[in-house]
Amino acid sequence: MLELKDLRLSYGNTQVLNGVDLSVKRGDVVSIIGPSGTGKTTLLKCINYLVKPASGTIAFDKVKMDYQRPDKTAVQAIRLRTAMVFQQFNVFKNMTVIQNVMDPLVVVQRKSRDEARAIALKELNRVGLSDKLDSYPSQLSGGQLQRTGIARALAIKPDVMLFDEPTSSLDPELVGEVLRVIKDVTSSGITSLLVTHEMQFAKNISNRIVFMDRGVVAADGSPAEIFDAPSNPRLAQFLNSELAIQ
Amino acid sequence: MFDSEVLLPDLWDILGAVPMTLLMALAIFVFSTIVGSLFAMVEYRRITVLRELVVAYKVAFKGVPMVIVIFLAYYGLPPALQFLAALVGIEFNGHLTPNWVTLIVALTACVAAFQAEVVKGALNSFDTGQADAAYSLGYKRSQLFRRVMLPQVIVAAIPDLANSFMVIMKALSLGFAIEVVDIFAQSQLTAALNFYYLEAFLIAVVIYMVIAYIVTHGADRVEAALRART
Repeated sequence: MLELKDLRLSYGNTQVLNGVDLSVKRGDVVSIIGPSGTGKTTLLKCINYLVKPASGTIAFDKVKMDYQRPDKTAVQAIRLRTAMVFQQFNVFKNMTVIQNVMDPLVVVQRKSRDEARAIALKELNRVGLSDKLDSYPSQLSGGQLQRTGIARALAIKPDVMLFDEPTSSLDPELVGEVLRVIKDVTSSGITSLLVTHEMQFAKNISNRIVFMDRGVVAADGSPAEIFDAPSNPRLAQFLNSELAIQ
Repeated sequence: MFDSEVLLPDLWDILGAVPMTLLMALAIFVFSTIVGSLFAMVEYRRITVLRELVVAYKVAFKGVPMVIVIFLAYYGLPPALQFLAALVGIEFNGHLTPNWVTLIVALTACVAAFQAEVVKGALNSFDTGQADAAYSLGYKRSQLFRRVMLPQVIVAAIPDLANSFMVIMKALSLGFAIEVVDIFAQSQLTAALNFYYLEAFLIAVVIYMVIAYIVTHGADRVEAALRART
């Protein structure tokens, strides 16, 4: 349902994406792992056109776009059908928890306030924030902020969820509550892409693991293929160093 | 030497200039904030050419003493207005322009350069992650601005905006050079009649301080109330 071909992007002289190909089938839960600075986050941002690749193509079901000829309608169509969860949460600081979830429904999807509120209540209940509806972001913990971000993403009923290192800026004791929510989301059957450094978690929830290294997809396979029998030497080395930490 | 007897009559005299001073300050504040915000948006959005013009404007009006700008406006604005009016076929004697209008134009021009920096700083304090989130959810640029950015930028700008208001209040005393009577000018006029200068200026100082207190305190309260929600 989602196919990226030959994505290339550089920041100044640093080549971040060096010809990335990635295709995702409906229902896939794909975890993207790899060393820092290999373009994992950038890749996710390309899907929503938050960064602008120099070249490459994207196909999202019937919507197709060549990044050399950006097309507003295609970008918007893809944005409306995907939802992103950010490392820095990026909840709207001037809105309460429930307003954060309702606002995109009212502003973008033009739903009535009542309808938006009903959806927001349901999603916030799902992430366990029913008691924080009227809190402002400045009053919440990182875990609560991220769960707000997840509820906001779920509320727009996306076809694909994009998780960008959702637990990387959380205190260790808050990681669990967010991972539980993500696991609940991915096991509901929604197509998901997850950039993460939580190796054990990736192994548990994914049906596919993509290993990125130096701006390309260096290995791609089932969790068993990637974690138990890594064929790529860079991958083996990466896993060893990650496991040494955990 | 110091005669406390004149304090009360002087106070009434000088208080008479307060409404006009506040109204002029308010007008300059509003106009300069609007113009400054436009300048800041030009810089924030990095609009070519316009951006260079804004920088040139800021250098000019931050660098030139306000009193010079006031004199330039005093001698330059009436003929300029008359010329412009003639262009669109209106008969208008530019020299009928009241001096307080000239003063408002001159100070607006100066303060706009400072307001541009205030608003630019507030815009830059907005973290772009929220913009990423809004775009990924399908917000248009205008929706992001209205719903998310503006409410946060205003709160960030309040302390500096209150500051600007006091700068304007004080700058208005330069208007005496072109015969516009504000609090300071009135205290000078009052003193000129009875020669009790110290008393008159003391009253002016107290009035300025009361206004400064109200503005600062008010801005703090507004900011605190709004910040609780961000």
